[in-house]
Amino acid sequence: MLEIKNLHAKIGDKEILKGLSLKVNAGEVHAIMGPNGTGKSTLASIIAGKEDYVITAGEILFEGKNLLELSPDERAREGVFLAFQYPVEIPGVSTTNFMKAAVNAKRKHHGLEPIVAKEFLALMNEKRQLVDLDKSYLSRSINEGFSGGEKKRNEIFQMAMLDPKLAILDETDSGLDIDALRIVADGVNKLKNKHNAFLVITHYQRLLNYIVPDYVHIMYDGRIVKTGDKSLALKMEERGYDWIKEEIGV
Amino acid sequence: MSFTDNIDVAFETIDKDNLSVVRESALTSFKALGLPSARHEEWKYTHIKTKLPETLRLAASFELQVASKLKYFNSIKGTKLVFINGDFSAESSVILAQSGLTVGSLKENSNLYPEQFEKYFNKATDISKENFAALNTAFVRDGAFIYVKKNTIVEAPVFVFHIYDNASADVFTQSRNLIIAEENSDITIVEDFQNSTGEKFYNHVSEVYVGRNAEVNYSLLQLHNPNTTSVNYVEARLERDARYHITTVTLDGKLVRNNVNAYMDGENALATLNGLYIGKDANHIDNHILVDHRVPNCNSHQTYKGVLDDGATGVFNGKIFVQKDAQKTNAYQSSKAVLLSDEASMNSKPQLEIYADDVKCSHGAAIGQVSKNELFYLLARGIDKDTARGILTYAFANEIIAAIKLPELKTYLDEKLKQRLNITI
Repeated sequence: MLEIKNLHAKIGDKEILKGLSLKVNAGEVHAIMGPNGTGKSTLASIIAGKEDYVITAGEILFEGKNLLELSPDERAREGVFLAFQYPVEIPGVSTTNFMKAAVNAKRKHHGLEPIVAKEFLALMNEKRQLVDLDKSYLSRSINEGFSGGEKKRNEIFQMAMLDPKLAILDETDSGLDIDALRIVADGVNKLKNKHNAFLVITHYQRLLNYIVPDYVHIMYDGRIVKTGDKSLALKMEERGYDWIKEEIGV
Repeated sequence: MSFTDNIDVAFETIDKDNLSVVRESALTSFKALGLPSARHEEWKYTHIKTKLPETLRLAASFELQVASKLKYFNSIKGTKLVFINGDFSAESSVILAQSGLTVGSLKENSNLYPEQFEKYFNKATDISKENFAALNTAFVRDGAFIYVKKNTIVEAPVFVFHIYDNASADVFTQSRNLIIAEENSDITIVEDFQNSTGEKFYNHVSEVYVGRNAEVNYSLLQLHNPNTTSVNYVEARLERDARYHITTVTLDGKLVRNNVNAYMDGENALATLNGLYIGKDANHIDNHILVDHRVPNCNSHQTYKGVLDDGATGVFNGKIFVQKDAQKTNAYQSSKAVLLSDEASMNSKPQLEIYADDVKCSHGAAIGQVSKNELFYLLARGIDKDTARGILTYAFANEIIAAIKLPELKTYLDEKLKQRLNITI
């Protein structure tokens, strides 16, 4: 589904990704771990299409298409979803209206008519329950005055509404209490199926007790330096990142 | 050649009425002041002189179906005063009678309420300084007279519709309101200027008196056509414990100049002055705001928001005066504009003059673009760039409309705003 080959990227003069390669198939959950400033969030932003970065080498294929040639909104309509590390607050636009615009943009892209009101409301109702989001939140402005946990639940709600092929969770667990973490993880597990894939970026092994990955990648200094199964995450938790530094010889 | 060359001739054609004495002194003032040139500090960014029609005239009265012209006219509940080409139309108007409330034509009521006219007419505006207010006073044609007696809570809102026909060109009208809300009264007023095509020039003055502990909610809608030039004065005087909320909504117009002034004459008065303007193409929209704190313990809030696209220009000049005796004043001002194109421009000038030493005054002015982070958030959900920008612009602008109290008006303006911004959420 997703194939990243030898990706190099910089912001300004600073090189952040230095030859990253990754392959994700449908039905898989991949976790990316690594210390701060190693390029994990940059990778998420680049896949989603944020403009601040310059790609100096390499390519990203999504279902065989050159993803880097698509605009961020086209990528989303094709089925890429980014759950933001820091979801923005947008006063004046309700989550309901926002989601209606997003759902219809996707439908139009796939040659479908706009969703009928009744069907849309039923969809919203079903998906919000997945992350235990109260109905009142949907008529409020996007994320305005939401707690950290509510914002992250809203991200997963949006993910559920848009039913992406590839979902990237950018530190969705950071700053969440255990209850919110369980709700978010439950939501993800219910959305998981053999047709979609998840890329879970995290600092903490804790999340991976709830969302069990098929692969764990350790990222360091703009590259994936080690790949293993879920036991690798436990090892990281036990030994810290210095162990990796020693192993790769820096 | 401009109309000022023939001003005496034009003045001769006005019927003698109760306002004749005031008219004459206003004419003298106007002749002394002339029209403001670009050198006039208050008109620096708004070059109006060249925009005026050559004649001061109005097309003949005409008949029209008000209900079809204003789709929301029938759906709203309230008193509806209709002025067609500047003249009061009793047939088109709907007046919900209530004891303690007088609403109708300014011209007719100037004969019926000489005492109130003596006391209030032309007392809020300074015709020795304000060129267009002087011109308006000399040539007043008609407008709304709204008189709310002591302790009267006006149950239904009062709508004042100004409708102009499509055909006549170079129309230049001088409309005038007098609004008096006596002690402990409460009223909501919506004034709406509408027309569809043709060059129009309005010079409008509205004087508002908010008595002790009275409340006036006033919305001025400028849903013009793009050929409209309009100068407006909304002058309010507030007595002790008075509450006054004015909102101007300008969605189009060739040149619009609003002078929204509030004078705090009594302690513990509150004035909220809000404005929204959307400029496109070559629209020029100028808001000159003044709050004059003359006595202690008053509060004022100015919140202005604008969206400027294409080659549109905006002007915001917000004055707060705090006089020497006006201790414990709390005055706030915010002006924010979003520019959607490289050609659009905004001139913003906060002007605070504070002569008292124990006051709380703050102001902020921001001119910018749609937030990149917010835009990316919408794009990342599959919404295309144009729609996303539209949604964010709407969200920015909607704050002013959301603050309007009257639900039907809020719904109506919300739709108009979406239309203007071409969005369908």
